[in-house]
Formats: sequence, structure tokens, C-alpha cells
Amino acid sequence: MNGRFRSFSFVDRITQCSARRVEGHYTVPAGATRFPASLMAEAVGQLAAWASMSQLDFAFRPVAGLAAEARYAQLPRPGQRLELQADIERCDAEAVAYRGRATIDGQLAVEIIDCVGPMLPMAQFDDPDAVRADFHTLRGSGAAPDRFGGVPAAALSQIDALGDDKLQALLTVPLPAAAPYFGDHFPRRAVFPGTLLLDALAGLAVQLAQRSAPLRDAEVLLPTRVTHVKIRSFTEPGALLQLEVERVEAGAQGARLKLAARADGKTVATARIEVARRDRA
Amino acid sequence: MPEQAIAQPEIDAVFPKVAQTIADALGCDLEEVKPTSSLIEDLDAESIDFLDLVFRLEKGFGVKIPRGKIVEDARGALPESEFEAKGVVTEAGLARLREFLDEVPAERIKTPLKAADVPRLFTSETFCKVVIRAQRAAA
Repeated sequence: MNGRFRSFSFVDRITQCSARRVEGHYTVPAGATRFPASLMAEAVGQLAAWASMSQLDFAFRPVAGLAAEARYAQLPRPGQRLELQADIERCDAEAVAYRGRATIDGQLAVEIIDCVGPMLPMAQFDDPDAVRADFHTLRGSGAAPDRFGGVPAAALSQIDALGDDKLQALLTVPLPAAAPYFGDHFPRRAVFPGTLLLDALAGLAVQLAQRSAPLRDAEVLLPTRVTHVKIRSFTEPGALLQLEVERVEAGAQGARLKLAARADGKTVATARIEVARRDRA
Repeated sequence: MPEQAIAQPEIDAVFPKVAQTIADALGCDLEEVKPTSSLIEDLDAESIDFLDLVFRLEKGFGVKIPRGKIVEDARGALPESEFEAKGVVTEAGLARLREFLDEVPAERIKTPLKAADVPRLFTSETFCKVVIRAQRAAA
């Protein structure tokens, strides 16, 4: 099994699809080992991607690019269903611009604003006819459930403090044999998903935030807002990434930090993040 | 229809907001963004930054900047086959660029110039003009 349309697909069914609005849903598999917050944004982005690919007759597909803001309100539990919605603001052969949200039982889970996905030729990444067929499946009876098995937290190494306000770490991107999602992202060209890179950066950000004096007693810190996301280039399997987080501000309730990932000295992604205290009562 | 020239006061009027938008998109200091700054050569912009910048300018100024419009405008009335040959800008194309991108110092428009490198010429002022043209088109 190559994982195609399974191991990194976060839309189960598309219930409405017009030029401006697309709606659908995704149920987090009951057996998913880990479903980080960034994958909710991935689900909304994939919904928008399906709509945009359909509009362009599957000749192009968007890839991760820009997101002005993602707000996380809650995390889904295994078995919970995300109701997905995206508004397509522009779509052409250069890029798709959209915003969207996911809710759980009517309550906001994530909202993403001012996202832009650059378009690239579909054939570089997947078989256009196969993608068209998958779209029809999503528009019809829907995809098989429980396709995604979860992703482990990124295995960061050599975590070093650079003074009080910076933390850096190395991340070796896994190879496809150890990471089934590469079979789906993408079938013809394996690319480390930008949302998993952000998940790794968020994990490092939480570690740095927990070292801040006002937050040392925090039981749980969670990402609540990610802004200024810019994915500059593709990251291949096996790549060695240098992650760096910098604290901008920390208070009793949370912290704001800057995020960056570099490969061979070149910046591949940047963002800013806010993490907040979510202590148990 | 010949394009109406863009006067310096028009450029001066939009430059502060364009410069701030460039600084926001590239994550650089506002002081680094000069009218003559090449976005690629001086401010390290990449293709994703141009996409970001154009969307920010559209939102900030309430205009539409059609995809590929900047390069298309740079080519003017010249058909693509006369603007470039085998990926290199022709003499006619270079003459058109020197006229259209008059904010770019002439010595930066070198021969041979690959067509793919035309965006390397774009300066902050180039984007001021893009905004002004978009505003005129919307008026």
C-alpha cells in the first residue's frame, strides 16, 4: 500500500462545492495516535485545495505557502468529527487565496485567515486523473474512514539554549519508510508537510516558553495562535533542519515567540506563535 | 492606448504605504526599504515573497492586481516572441524594459538578460507604479 489518498488526507467527504464556498467533514480516526492542532488547519487547507484543483480541472495543485493567521480554539479527540468550511477568495493558475474554519459539535476548533497556496503543475505531484477520481469519491459517498494513523511528535535533537530568549534544535526529517504520510504527500514527489514542520516548531516553542519564569509552573502550554506563516521552499525526506525559536514576550498566561526553520543555512519556513496556559482545574 | 505617465508626486504619495507593506511581507526593517531597493538583490525577496506582497498590496490598497500583470505590463505591446528569444530578452525587449522600468538604473538592465531574471530588476518604486496603475484601472 503506498498511502495515496490515505495517510495524509484529512477530508472524508465534500458536501458542498461552489466557486466561492466549499464544505465537508473529517472524522479523526479513533485509533489515531496523535493529531496535533496544525492538522486541523491542514484539513481546512486540503478542503480549499480540493475546491481549487476542481476549478482548475486538476491541471494544478496548491502547495503550502502563506497563512496570515491560524487560531486554535480546541483540539479534537479521536473519533470526533470536524465540520470543515472554506471560502475561496481567488483561484487561478498562480495561486489560491482562501480562509476557513473547522468546528466540533458547533464550537469553533480552528480558524485560518488570509491563506495563499501557490499553484504548481499537478503532474509533478500526482496523477491528475487519479486526483479527479478521488474528488468524485469525496463528492459522492465519501472516502473510507480511519485512513490516517497519527503522527509522532517530531524527534528533535541537540536542543540548545542560545541565551535566555532563544532555543535551537535539529530535526532530521524521516525517510518514507518510517513516515507513511510521504506516500500521500505527495505520491509522485515526497515533500515534508508544512503543517508538520509547524508542529515541530510549535513543540520547540512550548519548551522555550516553559523556561520563562512566569510560566515555569504551567502544567500545560498549548499553541493558540500562529501568524505570519511563510513556507519558502520544499523540504525533502531525510533533510536536516535547524529549528530556532525566539521568545518575544512572556507573561503569566502565555508567551509570544518567533519561529524559523533552516536547511543548509537557507530559511525554509518562518512564523510567529502564541502559546497559552491550559492548566487543569 | 499609450499609457499615461506616472508623475513623481503620485509615487511619493503611495510609497510610505508600499514600503511598509514590503517591510511586512519580507520581515525587514522599514528603513531598509528605499525607492530604489531591488526586492531580490537588496532585500532577499523570493518568489513566495512576491506572491505575499501582491496579496498584501491588493488588500491594503483595495485594488486587484491580475496574476502575471507586472511582467505582462513590462513587455507592453511587444509579443512574447519579440520580447525574448530562447529565454533571453531581445534588444527590442531591453529597450522596452528601459522605458517601462525607468526607475531602474540603466546599468542594472544588462545584456544578456534572461527573461526569468526580469523580476530581479523590480524595485520598491516598481511596486508603487503597480499600485498606481491598478488604482487607475479601477477608477
